[in-house]
Amino acid sequence: MFVDEVLDGVNFKSTWKKERYINDRETQTTALLVSDEAVQSYKTVDEAVQTDEEPKRKLRLAEDTSGQLANFLRRTEPYIIKQLTNNLRSRAFDGYDVDLEDDSTSVTSLHTLTYPSLQDKFQVTSLSWNSTGSVIGASYGQQEHEDWCTHRSVMCTWNLDRTGIVADKPDSKIEVDSCLMYIAFHPKNPAIVAGGSFNGEVLLWDLSREDDMLIATSGLGQDSHQEPVTKVYWITDAKGKKIYLVSASGDGKIIQWKIDRKAQKLLPKEGFMVMTQSLPRQMKVKGVRGDREIGVTCLSYHSEDRETFIVGSETGVIFKCSMYSQGPPAGSHIVSSIPLRSPVTFTYNPHHGPVYAVECSPFHRNAFVSASMDQCIRLYSLLQAQPVLTIEPGEGYVHSATWSPVKATVIAATTQSGNLLIYDLKQGKTVPVHNIPASSNKEPVYACQFNPQQTHLLATGDGKGRVQIFKLSSKLQQVSGKETEFLGNLVNVTAE
Amino acid sequence: MSEVEETIKRIQSHKGVSGIIIVNADGIPIRTTLDNSTTVQYSGLIHQLAAKAKSTVRDLDPQNDLTFLRIRSKKHEIMVAPDKEYLLIVIQSPNEV
Repeated sequence: MFVDEVLDGVNFKSTWKKERYINDRETQTTALLVSDEAVQSYKTVDEAVQTDEEPKRKLRLAEDTSGQLANFLRRTEPYIIKQLTNNLRSRAFDGYDVDLEDDSTSVTSLHTLTYPSLQDKFQVTSLSWNSTGSVIGASYGQQEHEDWCTHRSVMCTWNLDRTGIVADKPDSKIEVDSCLMYIAFHPKNPAIVAGGSFNGEVLLWDLSREDDMLIATSGLGQDSHQEPVTKVYWITDAKGKKIYLVSASGDGKIIQWKIDRKAQKLLPKEGFMVMTQSLPRQMKVKGVRGDREIGVTCLSYHSEDRETFIVGSETGVIFKCSMYSQGPPAGSHIVSSIPLRSPVTFTYNPHHGPVYAVECSPFHRNAFVSASMDQCIRLYSLLQAQPVLTIEPGEGYVHSATWSPVKATVIAATTQSGNLLIYDLKQGKTVPVHNIPASSNKEPVYACQFNPQQTHLLATGDGKGRVQIFKLSSKLQQVSGKETEFLGNLVNVTAE
Repeated sequence: MSEVEETIKRIQSHKGVSGIIIVNADGIPIRTTLDNSTTVQYSGLIHQLAAKAKSTVRDLDPQNDLTFLRIRSKKHEIMVAPDKEYLLIVIQSPNEV
């Protein structure tokens, strides 16, 4: 009945799928040529070379072999002596100045450096060139303060030797929490700068450090100044080896500091106090005790005699002081950890207003120049109270005056009317040889400094925070050798 | 002291004289009042210059000869007295009286 049956499967051919056909094929490339090659690197050998230190050749004078030296000298000596005496008396070369280099007769402005984020509110309070003469530093502050200084100001430096100098981007900026009144670069180390601030602090920075550049500060205690610091100065001691920092301030104190690097503090080493008892008689006010302090506005150390220094004060009086003077001590109302005494040894005829700048001549040991708010520049001899020469430029207050480091008779001064005046005493004692506007909009120019290394440069800073670098004419740098003599004659004249 | 030393001292003490060097015919200093490096510099350079000056004078006129050479610079005057065997160099600063 039921039977198993197997049915064949049913095949459908796909309508879309095609069958693939496979064929075998062979190919062959041409024969490949193969060859073997060997390469080897160089053999290295170490070799050392060293130069020997050439022994310093001692000058060995040759022996006189011919024995005729005495005769030779006998023959030539009278002739030489005659020529030597003729030279001393000769006036043949007196007016003769050969100008072999590029003759530029004018003073031109090379750069105008600004720091835009100060927004023109700050003035340049001081300028300083570093020891190599390639960096100019400017300190900023405001001249008018009503009470305690709450400004945040900066110190900017520009390196003028760099090729890509950008006029409004300083190379380094150090922020300070009050107005900086004065800065001074170290005379030997191009990275160290000292600064004095409005609240009496003396600060020391090292520009070569990457992070915090402040390396020492005097702090704000009783040992530091109680009034704005008006000047900081580096002095070399008598043997010329050690370099000290001295600061002067409106509280009458002149302090010599010792730097304690580890504690990062400046410790007072020696101090002086300028007091009212040193004033000339006609300026003394009745009823004021003799030991009241007089504000010091500027000071300058003598170029040869390391102990003498000249101090200019707010009263207009200029004092000659000595580091070793045994003057009367400061009054008992002054509290200080080091004994303070009066350094004054001599008083000069005063200006009629605060003295803004004094500077001792680097060439002649008896000359110094002073600039004051009474609108005149005076040339004094160290030895007499009356000034030797008074120059009145008629341009308002004279904010600074400085000697040229190369030519003994050149003085540069800056005025309230915004002009830079350059006087050459040999060419005219009342009229400046150059009178150049050093600021825009007749802003007063507060600082000017010659570059001691690159002697053709002069920097000025004005009331809007602009620093201008001037290139001096070649006449101002040519030294004929007679200038020191001229200055000496000028200063030796006793006033009638 | 010998005559040579006395003469040198006399010239050296004259007003304005900074130094004296006596150089022999080979250009080597035999007496000097200056320091070593300066002496070596001066003797080498001045010896050459004096030889050149002498040859210039002789070339211009063979009968002529150099008697004295003076070089005046901004800061000093160098006086050179030539001779067959020696050269006397005196440096004077006439401005610093």
